[in-house]
Amino acid sequence: MSSRLIMETLQSEFADHLAKIYVQHEDEIQVELLSERLDWLPKICLFVHHQWKAFFVSAWASDGCKQEHQFKLHYLFSLDNEKLFLVIHAPVSADQPDFPSVAAHLIAANWAEREIQDTFGLTAVGHPNPKALWSHPDWPSSTFAMRKDFSIHSNPTRVDGDFPIASVEGEGVLEIPVGPIHAGIIEPGHFRFSVAGEPIIRLQAQLFYTHKGTEKLAEGLSPERVLHLSERVSGDSTFGHSTAFCHAVERMCGLTIPERAQSLRILCLELERIHNHLSDIGMIANDVAFLIGYAHAMRVREDVMSLNERLWGSRLIRGVNALGGVRRDLSLSIIPEIKSLMIKVREELRELDQILMNSASVVDRLETTGILHQSTAKDIGIVGIAGRASGLDRDFRRDHPHLGYSRLTFNVPTRQTGDVMARTQVRIDEVMESTQIIEQILQKIPDGPIKISTPELPKSAFALGYCEGWRGPILHALETDSHGAITRYKIDDPSFHNWPALLFAVQGNIVPDFPLINKSFNLSYSGNDR
Amino acid sequence: MNWTELITGLVMILIQLALFLLLAPLVTAWVRKVKAIMQNRQGPRMMQPYSDLWKLLRKEVIQPATASWIFTITPYVVFVTTLSVALIVPIFTTILPLGFIGDVIALVYILATARFFTALAGLDAGSPFGGLGSSREMSLASIIEPAMMLAIFTAAVTAGSTNLGTIAAQADVGLLLTPAHLFAFLGLFIVAMAETGRIPVDNPATHLELTMIHEAMILEYSGKYLALMEWASSMKLLLFLTLLANVFLPWGISNDLSLVSLGVGAVGYGLKIFALATVMAVIECSTAKLRLFRVPDLLAASFVLSLIALILFYLLGGESHAVL
Repeated sequence: MSSRLIMETLQSEFADHLAKIYVQHEDEIQVELLSERLDWLPKICLFVHHQWKAFFVSAWASDGCKQEHQFKLHYLFSLDNEKLFLVIHAPVSADQPDFPSVAAHLIAANWAEREIQDTFGLTAVGHPNPKALWSHPDWPSSTFAMRKDFSIHSNPTRVDGDFPIASVEGEGVLEIPVGPIHAGIIEPGHFRFSVAGEPIIRLQAQLFYTHKGTEKLAEGLSPERVLHLSERVSGDSTFGHSTAFCHAVERMCGLTIPERAQSLRILCLELERIHNHLSDIGMIANDVAFLIGYAHAMRVREDVMSLNERLWGSRLIRGVNALGGVRRDLSLSIIPEIKSLMIKVREELRELDQILMNSASVVDRLETTGILHQSTAKDIGIVGIAGRASGLDRDFRRDHPHLGYSRLTFNVPTRQTGDVMARTQVRIDEVMESTQIIEQILQKIPDGPIKISTPELPKSAFALGYCEGWRGPILHALETDSHGAITRYKIDDPSFHNWPALLFAVQGNIVPDFPLINKSFNLSYSGNDR
Repeated sequence: MNWTELITGLVMILIQLALFLLLAPLVTAWVRKVKAIMQNRQGPRMMQPYSDLWKLLRKEVIQPATASWIFTITPYVVFVTTLSVALIVPIFTTILPLGFIGDVIALVYILATARFFTALAGLDAGSPFGGLGSSREMSLASIIEPAMMLAIFTAAVTAGSTNLGTIAAQADVGLLLTPAHLFAFLGLFIVAMAETGRIPVDNPATHLELTMIHEAMILEYSGKYLALMEWASSMKLLLFLTLLANVFLPWGISNDLSLVSLGVGAVGYGLKIFALATVMAVIECSTAKLRLFRVPDLLAASFVLSLIALILFYLLGGESHAVL
């Protein structure tokens, strides 16, 4: 189905309520809602969701109070089958800062709308669970950190008091508070378990301890400097996030980067995927105390990290991406080495797979642990490996290809069971796929420049940038003001979508299995909190 | 009893205690070393546990604000009870100077005392992890203890005595183990893995509080208290290895106090201990930790093995060797 047909359908259904509808960057349909028709927002979202089986991707707000005396909401949907994005822009008057909740009908928008409430002070009317998400209980109410009148340098006085967490009550029900500081090298987050003996009745999480104001920091900065911020959104996804940001800038400027740069970016993205997946497989083995599996996975991972260092001068591929391409080229002489490492990774992983799957004790720990049902995953909008392990066959590399992913052949591995085993196996399969993607890339790596210069950002523009990071889809949205300066930078990390999955997946499991379930999702605190 | 015997007895007591104290950290180090080698790692040096203990002993103790005297006395209770077991377990000689004060039944209950105080201290510290650990420890203990009793009793029935020295001496009749001994050995081996918090049951090296059993109870300990707890854990490991070695594989153990036989006993003891520790480490590396709710199944297996041992003993027309 073409974007024209979609636009015509929307036009005929909602003609009276839409200000504008147009296509941008070939695969983005932009729908602008009339300001007085804000109450139609949920209806249009639901129509898009049902009519074209569109997945909710993200929702965010921006503050245009100074110029237009209004906020703007942006709801982003992905029409996977049509390889299209659909963005619904809805203005919210500054005089009446509320909007009808989409999450009331489409629960996937739950966290996104709560974040908008907390950071912009726009009330989602009818939201099923409108309690604070981003702001901690001691954060002063009516202080909204993402509004333009809030200075990044201000230090609001925290509120005093006791802040009880709603708990499950009943005979024999205990509360176990865990964190925010954990043992080991783990980011901060507070978990509250309500348990009856060992089985978990309910888990609540207080995240956003590592909020660094990255989105706010970016406002007014030059794109070159924001690139450095994007690399630091989540350390394990350095290249994924910087690719999404560069992509946004390049699309905004109407640039297509040289083919050689595209291939190098794919190479980096897949290397990032491989080293993170290997680490996760090892850590899952470690969490069930299967030491041989752990040592095996980490040894292979180290080879990949060392290769990263030799190729790019950075084990985590930091400082490699650049606006308009990449910074470092690949010398011909090292290509055979990469190829042989890919063969080695495959062989070693196949062996590890056998060791793990032939060990009854490991299989017993992984199977049926932390099940995330497909219907739950679909409803709450789970993405990436966690989604694919629960049967959601989605992958931005295939569904929204750029960088030349469409020229490559690869499978998107999925599993149906949604347990820790499924998430482990999806990782194993993905590493196998990634090694052969890299081989395809190296087979015919085009010659040419690795970088082109980027012009100044256009004025009053909007662009999306995205890629499939190792954890799931990473999406960045960029807006510029009338001078061409960045006025809104939205970062959407897959962790933000998948944290709720953990809360569902642990239910009915026992407390000592929680670390394993948590590790099988391996969500980023930093990427979630930004 | 003449003076010579008394002095020999006292010397034996001191040697046993000293050996137990000093050897225990080395066995722990050996287990860690084997595990490291199995994982392609170099691992810490063999003297590391001694350095750790020495460091901890000189460090300041931080006590939780909610902790009472139970928290303070527990490390001493645990340390002393574990060490006192060294007096009733044959190490490299079956002649136990203090054998008359306790037998296998006493051993089980002395260990239970240590466990009881550790569990109380876990609760006393006031952290949620301590309570979690205590509750898990006590529920597993209710299955570990009968399994352990049955395993050792099989050996006791064979020997016709509950005195560990006599059991060791009697078992040394032939070079071959009876089927009954073999099954009881397997039963006790499983108990030993569980009691010392080894991998299919507990993971002594984990940092994940939510999965801990023993480590969760002692999470709030620091300084010299932690040193005592760690040292006691090492001694407990050595104790179980000693039981396995001397009750079921007592070859070479010395039955008199001549220097030659003591020497043979000591060398044999060392070899057996380190061989058993190696087996334990290899098992730890090659199996994943069990789901907590599966641990009772494993211990039930141990119980059944011991039961089979007992039945075999009577079926095969076993007769107690000992003169009661």
